[in-house]
Amino acid sequence: MSATKMQRRVRVSSALVLLGMTVELVSLLWSHPTAFVLFVLPGALLMALGILLYLYSLVTVSEPIDNTEAHRSF
Amino acid sequence: MISPTAILIGTIVVSIILLGLLVSRPSITNTRAGKVLAFVSILLFPVLATSMGVDEHMERSKTTAFCTSCHVMEKYGQSLHVDDASYIPAAHFQNNRVPRDKTCYTCHTDYTLYGGFRSKLRGLRHLQVQYFGKIPEKIELYNAYNNRECLHCHAGARSFEEGATHNMEDGRLDAIKLNILSCLSTGCHDTVHNVTALHDVKLWSENNKDKSNGGTNK
Repeated sequence: MSATKMQRRVRVSSALVLLGMTVELVSLLWSHPTAFVLFVLPGALLMALGILLYLYSLVTVSEPIDNTEAHRSF
Repeated sequence: MISPTAILIGTIVVSIILLGLLVSRPSITNTRAGKVLAFVSILLFPVLATSMGVDEHMERSKTTAFCTSCHVMEKYGQSLHVDDASYIPAAHFQNNRVPRDKTCYTCHTDYTLYGGFRSKLRGLRHLQVQYFGKIPEKIELYNAYNNRECLHCHAGARSFEEGATHNMEDGRLDAIKLNILSCLSTGCHDTVHNVTALHDVKLWSENNKDKSNGGTNK
């Protein structure tokens, strides 16, 4: 259940950052003051939201330890 | 040689591909490698790309094309092509006394410790007025033009230091250097952009050889 919650959070975070990065990419193809506004307001803002959600999820969502992975690493 | 812009765009494209993978298959974060991938894709690459993007936009904002891309600044861009050497911006632009691709920024930044930063803040204020405020009919500088900006290049130059007008009386050169006597508003170099008179003046074009000698050497 927790793992699923983390996966959902990762999906939402990734989607937000993906959207922000796409906006940033579009803004870089255009040299105009509006492009800078586009870069900062929707672009960097969406990206920051995604990152914050991801970091928040890392510290709040508890995950069961995957024993298979843990053994493999030793 | 790959340009910084190409590297930046490449970084963003790689980030987008990795993020697309995470959106479509978030279950890959169950493994340790997947967790590392998520950390790199969601945090490291986007932060790197955004900081590079901010730097790229800052550099672009210094260009003449950027400044004159707003409708309200078009006439100021035109004034750089006036075929009259008494127009200070035109004489500087046409004679490469300032880099042509960064003409506006070269003269309108403050040559102080945080001058570049203050210029960017003013730029943000311009954006705010452009989109959410009322553009004034007559555009004026926030503060009187400081001789410091002229002296950034002209101080120490023979033509400036030994110029007859600059030395016509004792203390005049010092007054100019101390910004007591303005270069622009004391009747010496007072024809600046003068955008209201642009319809009456001849414009210089670099490609037009017949016109290229006029107003270029002073």
